[in-house]
Amino acid sequence: MSQQETSLSVTNGAAAAAFLAAAIGVFSLGLITLAGEFGWFSAPELVKGVGGLSGRSTMAVAIWLIAWAVLHRQWRDRQLSWRTLTIASFGLIGLGVVFALPPVWHLLGA
Amino acid sequence: MNLFTERSIWTMVHGIILGGGVMAAFTVALYCMWSVRAADGPSPVVHRQCRFLGRTLLVLAVALWLVVLIGTYVNFAPYRAAAPEGADLSQYPKSFIQSNESTDWLHSFGMELKEHLPWMAAMLVTAVAFVALRYNERLIGEHRLRGLMAAVLLVSFSLSGVVALLGIFINKVAPLT
Repeated sequence: MSQQETSLSVTNGAAAAAFLAAAIGVFSLGLITLAGEFGWFSAPELVKGVGGLSGRSTMAVAIWLIAWAVLHRQWRDRQLSWRTLTIASFGLIGLGVVFALPPVWHLLGA
Repeated sequence: MNLFTERSIWTMVHGIILGGGVMAAFTVALYCMWSVRAADGPSPVVHRQCRFLGRTLLVLAVALWLVVLIGTYVNFAPYRAAAPEGADLSQYPKSFIQSNESTDWLHSFGMELKEHLPWMAAMLVTAVAFVALRYNERLIGEHRLRGLMAAVLLVSFSLSGVVALLGIFINKVAPLT
């Protein structure tokens, strides 16, 4: 690829990192919540009165930010497959949201 | 009833001022996304729209995080405070809601969603805002990127809309005063 073509092209790596990291954050929060409902893992109460939500949300945000930092560093100058990015991101988002739904907890036997 | 207690004011800041502002900002951002898409090609107007989109999404992300943080760390603890024996349950929203079969779902379903979905929406909107600010006018030629941004924004808007509606129901039945 010539220098001129490279300077005119827009790589999607930075965007991919942002979207996928957010999707990982969403999925993490859903999974941590589901784990709490099943008694597999109980998030700590980091702020008095707020309960386990303070621990769950803090963990999910930490996972999101770490994932974003790592992915951005790896992908910022790369071009990734749109199809793979879309499927991975929306798959994780979908699962994360579903895991946070109370009817799903009851359905799964929590 | 005193409408302007500290708890009531924080609830209004969370729900009406910031929450209402967030819903309005979502609408503006979605319209901006559409107007960039609908443009005939690069022009000074579209360039300005891209910059405006980035700023709008930044304001939306900040407002949404404030809604989430105030809701979690200011309003949630008084909402879920355990009512002492014989206490007036109207001062303890969670206990009040759970004391009646017809309103119990507001906590077991409504508040459970309100605990987690807004955090998800905030993370997603932050990603969209970052992309808009980083790519700026380069978004004009990137229809797949804009499509992904719009889709994620719509998901966030839907999540936020659902929790906003549930918040209205909860506050109507058991307001924080």
